Amino acid sequence: MPDSEEIDQGAIANDSALIENSPAADTHPEEILARLQAQTRRHFLRSLSTGVGSMFLGSLGLKYASPVEASELNIDGTRRLDFRRDPTRPLSVLPPQFPARAKRIIYLHMAGAPSQLELFEHKPDLSRLDGQDCPASFLQGKRFAFISGVPKLLGSQYPFHQAGQSGAWVSDRLPHFEKHIDDVCFIKSMRTDQFNHAPAQLLVHTGNPRLGYASMGSWVTYGLGSENQNLPGFIVLISGGKQPDGGKQLWASGFLPSIYQGVQCRSHGEPVLYLENPQNVSRSLRRSELDAIDEINRQQYAEFGNPETITRISQYEMAFRMQMEATDALDIRKESVATQAAYGCKPGEESFANNCLVARRLAERGVRFIQLYHWGWDSHGSNAKEALNLGFTDRCREVDQPMSALLADLKQRGMLEDTLVVWGGEFGRTSMRENRNGAVMQFVGRDHNPGAFTIWLAGGGIEPGITHGETDAMGYEIVKDPVEIRDLHATMLYVMGFDHRKLNYSFQGLDQKLTSVKPARIVSEVLA
Amino acid sequence: MISPIRQWLLRNRLGMFTLAPILLLIVLLLFFPPDGAQRSDWAQFIGGFHLLTIHFPIALIFLVPVLEIGGRSRRFRHLRSSVEPMLALAFFSAIASAILGWFLARSGEYSGPLVLQHMWGGFFVTVFCWLCWMLRGRIARQRFDIAYFCGLAVTVLLVSFTGYRGGQLSHGEAHLAEHMPSPLRDWLGVSKQEERGPTAATADSFFAVRVEPVFQQNCVGCHGRSTRKRGLRLDSYEAVMRGGKSGPAVKAADLNNSGLFQRVSSPPGSEKIMPPQGKRPLSTEQIKLIGLWISTGASPNLADNAIQGVSATARPAAEATFTEIDDAAVAKQRAPFADALAELDKRYPGAIEYESRGSAKLTINTSLLGSKFGDDDLARLRPIYDQFVAADFSNSAITDRSASNLAAMKHLRTLRLMHTRITDATVLALGGLNELESLNVFGTEITPAALKTAEHLPKLRHLYAGETKITANRPLPDALKGKVVF
Repeated sequence: MPDSEEIDQGAIANDSALIENSPAADTHPEEILARLQAQTRRHFLRSLSTGVGSMFLGSLGLKYASPVEASELNIDGTRRLDFRRDPTRPLSVLPPQFPARAKRIIYLHMAGAPSQLELFEHKPDLSRLDGQDCPASFLQGKRFAFISGVPKLLGSQYPFHQAGQSGAWVSDRLPHFEKHIDDVCFIKSMRTDQFNHAPAQLLVHTGNPRLGYASMGSWVTYGLGSENQNLPGFIVLISGGKQPDGGKQLWASGFLPSIYQGVQCRSHGEPVLYLENPQNVSRSLRRSELDAIDEINRQQYAEFGNPETITRISQYEMAFRMQMEATDALDIRKESVATQAAYGCKPGEESFANNCLVARRLAERGVRFIQLYHWGWDSHGSNAKEALNLGFTDRCREVDQPMSALLADLKQRGMLEDTLVVWGGEFGRTSMRENRNGAVMQFVGRDHNPGAFTIWLAGGGIEPGITHGETDAMGYEIVKDPVEIRDLHATMLYVMGFDHRKLNYSFQGLDQKLTSVKPARIVSEVLA
Repeated sequence: MISPIRQWLLRNRLGMFTLAPILLLIVLLLFFPPDGAQRSDWAQFIGGFHLLTIHFPIALIFLVPVLEIGGRSRRFRHLRSSVEPMLALAFFSAIASAILGWFLARSGEYSGPLVLQHMWGGFFVTVFCWLCWMLRGRIARQRFDIAYFCGLAVTVLLVSFTGYRGGQLSHGEAHLAEHMPSPLRDWLGVSKQEERGPTAATADSFFAVRVEPVFQQNCVGCHGRSTRKRGLRLDSYEAVMRGGKSGPAVKAADLNNSGLFQRVSSPPGSEKIMPPQGKRPLSTEQIKLIGLWISTGASPNLADNAIQGVSATARPAAEATFTEIDDAAVAKQRAPFADALAELDKRYPGAIEYESRGSAKLTINTSLLGSKFGDDDLARLRPIYDQFVAADFSNSAITDRSASNLAAMKHLRTLRLMHTRITDATVLALGGLNELESLNVFGTEITPAALKTAEHLPKLRHLYAGETKITANRPLPDALKGKVVF
């Protein structure tokens, strides 16, 4: 039959093609011999053991792997958002879950926890009772870092007045900031459950008081990518002469791929150390060097499939691109003298003012999350720098003008519309004067108070000129609308266009998220 | 020789077996009484069927006396043979309904004397129903048994009582008396509460303008027409003043005895707080409004502006909610321009992006491309002009040549042209952008002449005119007051 003949011919043709394509048939016998000789006993054992191992793992996988459909769902049954990207472009932009109110965040963290009672919390009753023993109810079941025995109540060290059309109370320590008070929204009922700096800072920045979790900036960059492929999506700038107590874990990426971790830039000298080419190495030489390294890394990735290898490749590439862009972005000398003066910058020094101006320049260049730390707010009163009546005033002076200039600058350029600015510490300070070891201390100070503190928000999606939450007459405990750190995180992610439950990452059997496992509430009262 | 008890037990083996569910019910009711605490969704869902199944035992039990009486006549004698299965059915459906009822009671909506009475009423209905069934099986067919007759009478009375209490639980305490005709009411001596109760609130009163919206937004979900937890409705002035099962919710000019105020002003985290934990608490402002209204006498017609010191707008914030993205619908919306977009994305990587995962609207940001993006590039975007809601062409090389193209992006809400070479001509061409909310011409050569168009943009909220020829020294048109940022 003609049909079967055709089929047979086809089959023969296929067979011959197979033979021709198979590696054994298309080479000279000597080549086969050479290849066989190249195969050593070790090669044989290695492929044998990996073969057996992968057979075992494969059988496990068949048995225990959950069906694909299940992993597409979140634990609450809603569909998981897809954050997969081209592995060579891990920072490429992804749209938010729903239309966002803000495209980027500038977070001004006042490390050490500034006293809300000397800045925003006007408590005339506390001033009236200054010097009296604090009520026993303030001490019951409370743990303090240093207070012991029965401390005395401590009234505000500075006079308060109302400012702006909103009539918000502010002390005389922030003369520049009060001009912008109608642009910000205060939350006076922030609460935390950590009373030591490092865990409290970790809680604020990673949603968890322990090490190993991903920071806010990492989450946001993971969720949205970065508009500028020549700069990191998450940049950290530090001032105040000391790293925050939580250390580099505060901008770590935790379980997220490490490409999303914060990149710390220096605000004086070279912005990123060792970014410049060494002497006598030209940019083209560097390029060919990177090409060679990349090729090796790519082979490595092809063999093991470790995503961290991809991170490494893209870090090298970004560093190469940053050589051009970062130097320019972080050079505040490119700003006019008037602008520098408005921030109070002193180029070449490490200062909060310089960092604020850099923050604006980075925001203009599409950096997703800009994190500033300013250390020195831990006003215990144990020395002059930590005294409410001395060092605290210096800290206020250091941040007042720059942060006000930042707000003004963003507003003038229309960027406050889609930039969320957050200012705050990791907890509050007590209404009582610190009495370390039960003694009256030389300087005036307050201990840590995780029970209540004040932060302010401004910009994209935030209702300006309002105050949310309230503390009691002593400014010690919240009486109205408490806001947990996770509520703040949920609100920030909401402004950035995410349901905080949907911005998640499977790790250790849990859909990890910034707001962690306890239910978080979006503080809709502060949304515009 | 078998003892008589043993003999009776043997004969009633089935009956003994059916005691088990009654025992189960006793355990449930005694050890897990309704305590008002919220339980899982499952408990609430299952409990909901109580309202459905409860009608079976009621109907079946009421049928029994009908069959018994009818069966006494010679003609309908055959009816009597159905009595025993009828009682059995009634008993089993009563047990099932009682267990469902227990679920409902435990779901958290109910607590208090009313639900306890209903609960124990239901329990004794099942017990007496069982007794009747057993007795009916025991007595001879012809004989009139006094114990059985009494048992049946008690069962019927219990069903009536329990049913009435159940009605009160789901329809409010006065559900029968509410629409009772007045002659009957007089005869029964039931007073009509509404007649001596408060009257409706006037439309422009403080209550109607300030307080009622707070209730509408936060309370009527559970205390409204269809759901009346604890018998309380807050959907009208009358209802608020009438109160619920635990008495009036509001006592005029007495905050301490106004349960409603006490509840909403409880400290966060307390057990008493309303709206309950997990729901959004009322804001300070809202509580203040309710407090003011009560302390000034809880009046229905006190004018809105009569109370001083209240801000003009109590801004109630809507709780943030999320809707699941419908991928198919989104893909359909995006399909018409997908090819054009893919091509442009290749040319300007990373510049064009969807507004969100659930949207077919686009945003474009070419500010990072700088002078590499010019008028010709802008013209290339023509196929997707309609999709843009936000565009940032800052730092680009575009000029007035692009004016007509910008004007064609009809749906723009945000347009940024910072540090470009555009002049007034471009802004004057933008008069048709009816959706534009924010226009940014920072650092351009724009002059006050451009304000002519800007003042007619209906939705414009911000015009960023810093570092232009528009300065704060010159007076602005009225329509732009407070909108221009220098």
